Amino acid sequence: MNTFSSIKELVSALYREEKLLSEMFKKRKTTDYKYDYALELVENNDSKIQYLLDRSVLRSNGNTLELDDLYLRFFEQILEANEEINISYINENLEKVTQNIDYYFNEQNEVRKYNYLKIIKHTLRKIGIITLRNVVDLKRNIDNTFKSEPNYKNKRAKLKHLDNKRKDIIELIEQTEHLVNEDDITFFKTATDEELNRIIVQLKLQLQKCTHNLIEIERQIIDFLNQIQQQSGVVEKLRQLKFLKDQFTLETVTDIKHVIARNNSVTFEPNPSYSIKLSLDHLQTDQEAFESIQKIAHRKKSRIVHKQPVADKISDEYLETQIEEEAQINLEEAKNSFLAGSRDLFDFVINYTFPKELSFDDRVTIYCQMVSEFEHLFEITGQYVEHEDISCALIYPNPTP
Amino acid sequence: MNVPEQTAEIFKILSKGQFISSNSSDDNLRFLYNVIDDEQNFELLHTFFRNINFVLEKGSEYFYFSRPETKVELEKKLDRAYEWIDIIDFLKTFDNSFGSGFRFSPSDILVRIKTDAELETKLDGLKKHTDKVKHQDILDKILKKLKDDTFIELENDITHQYKVLASFSYLEQMILTINIPDDVRNEIPE
Repeated sequence: MNTFSSIKELVSALYREEKLLSEMFKKRKTTDYKYDYALELVENNDSKIQYLLDRSVLRSNGNTLELDDLYLRFFEQILEANEEINISYINENLEKVTQNIDYYFNEQNEVRKYNYLKIIKHTLRKIGIITLRNVVDLKRNIDNTFKSEPNYKNKRAKLKHLDNKRKDIIELIEQTEHLVNEDDITFFKTATDEELNRIIVQLKLQLQKCTHNLIEIERQIIDFLNQIQQQSGVVEKLRQLKFLKDQFTLETVTDIKHVIARNNSVTFEPNPSYSIKLSLDHLQTDQEAFESIQKIAHRKKSRIVHKQPVADKISDEYLETQIEEEAQINLEEAKNSFLAGSRDLFDFVINYTFPKELSFDDRVTIYCQMVSEFEHLFEITGQYVEHEDISCALIYPNPTP
Repeated sequence: MNVPEQTAEIFKILSKGQFISSNSSDDNLRFLYNVIDDEQNFELLHTFFRNINFVLEKGSEYFYFSRPETKVELEKKLDRAYEWIDIIDFLKTFDNSFGSGFRFSPSDILVRIKTDAELETKLDGLKKHTDKVKHQDILDKILKKLKDDTFIELENDITHQYKVLASFSYLEQMILTINIPDDVRNEIPE
């Protein structure tokens, strides 16, 4: 396997394929970056990709390419885009510090001693930076997980996992503080170096900041976990209730009746309608009310004109006076004539001259009328006279009425 | 006793069985929420409304009215609760995190229905509460019901985006209050 022989070669190689590498870095989450895509970004020059493969910048996996883990981690750390929180790294550095302190004490040569001191200073500085970066990553990861993880079970598991990382970081911070303050107190007291002191102060400040951040993170994780618990609690309960409801046993096996009976929320009531009447006083006295009435009256005025049915003109004929003359028979006068004579009534009536011409039937009617009206003035005998087809009693004026 | 000057407005909303939520996008409602949320005002209003047979209740980030004694038949209330269970079950199937602060538009749900048979079945199951046949009609009807009861509100008229209000947790709380005995719970399949 070829390796880069100098920084210059490495940097220039990376610079040459900058387009391809940055594209692959962007797509690092989707593992399958096709060989063909890569080829297009290097002007279809096969050997360029081969060069990177030879130097383990890229790895090929069948027809796909991926960035080597070493470079991927390097890019992520430099760009502060790493998602993995790597605690072992801090741990490693801590061990390195303790080991170098041992070497420092064992070494007699001042020059070498100074080298060890340099390594210790360097590592301590690194611990501060890495821890701080880890805390920032942790916070970002927690936020991302809570907001974007769609699967509930995974979300909870991931958050718990991140919470464990938080605990690990706290432990490492404690270990580091312990190391600086208590474990190797001899070293930190004896190795009087101005820079070392400054680095330690800086480290302590960084660690303090981390601790504060971690406390906030802890609160947030608890809050998120509670929210998830609450949400999934509702979903789970809902599912169970729905199942029972579909089995038609919800009312009988649960206390839903009791719960609902106790709940007197107004939201269960139908919407009230308050049909409150207008105040008559207000309507009669208020100018505004009057205007409203006018407005409504105007609006209410029907556009349809009702046609009154008009009767026809009364014809003049109906208004003319007509005279009809009717001759009335004066029975009284006839009676007096009869009483003055001596003939029988029937004979009298037949022969009497009335003001108008009368038929025989009419004369019989008058005969009957006279008998019924003036009975007490007549003497009705038991004899009959036959005339045409009727027979009439012979009636004479009563000499002694 | 000097009740706040917004009392009439508060009464008008709450007496209709609606809620006043803290996360409404209506400035006026948020203002009313703050008025009631003031501890002194709350005491005053509580006493005031108690005199006219309403109990001012405080939930998590919302207020509502209840009655000192039952006024509605149990059966009607159960019907209502059943309807809510069906509706919430549907919405939670659409998105597990459907709850206070959630934003959605009816078209999101309709699009999902095309690819999610379970969601479609559940929407069909809501037919009985709406007397509608078309998916969109059923959905519109249940959203209207939720909107009228102020569990959700139309946040953006143009994009037709709804926002779930804090009062939605009233429904969730009600569901959590129902107790399923352990032996029954064990019989429910996973």
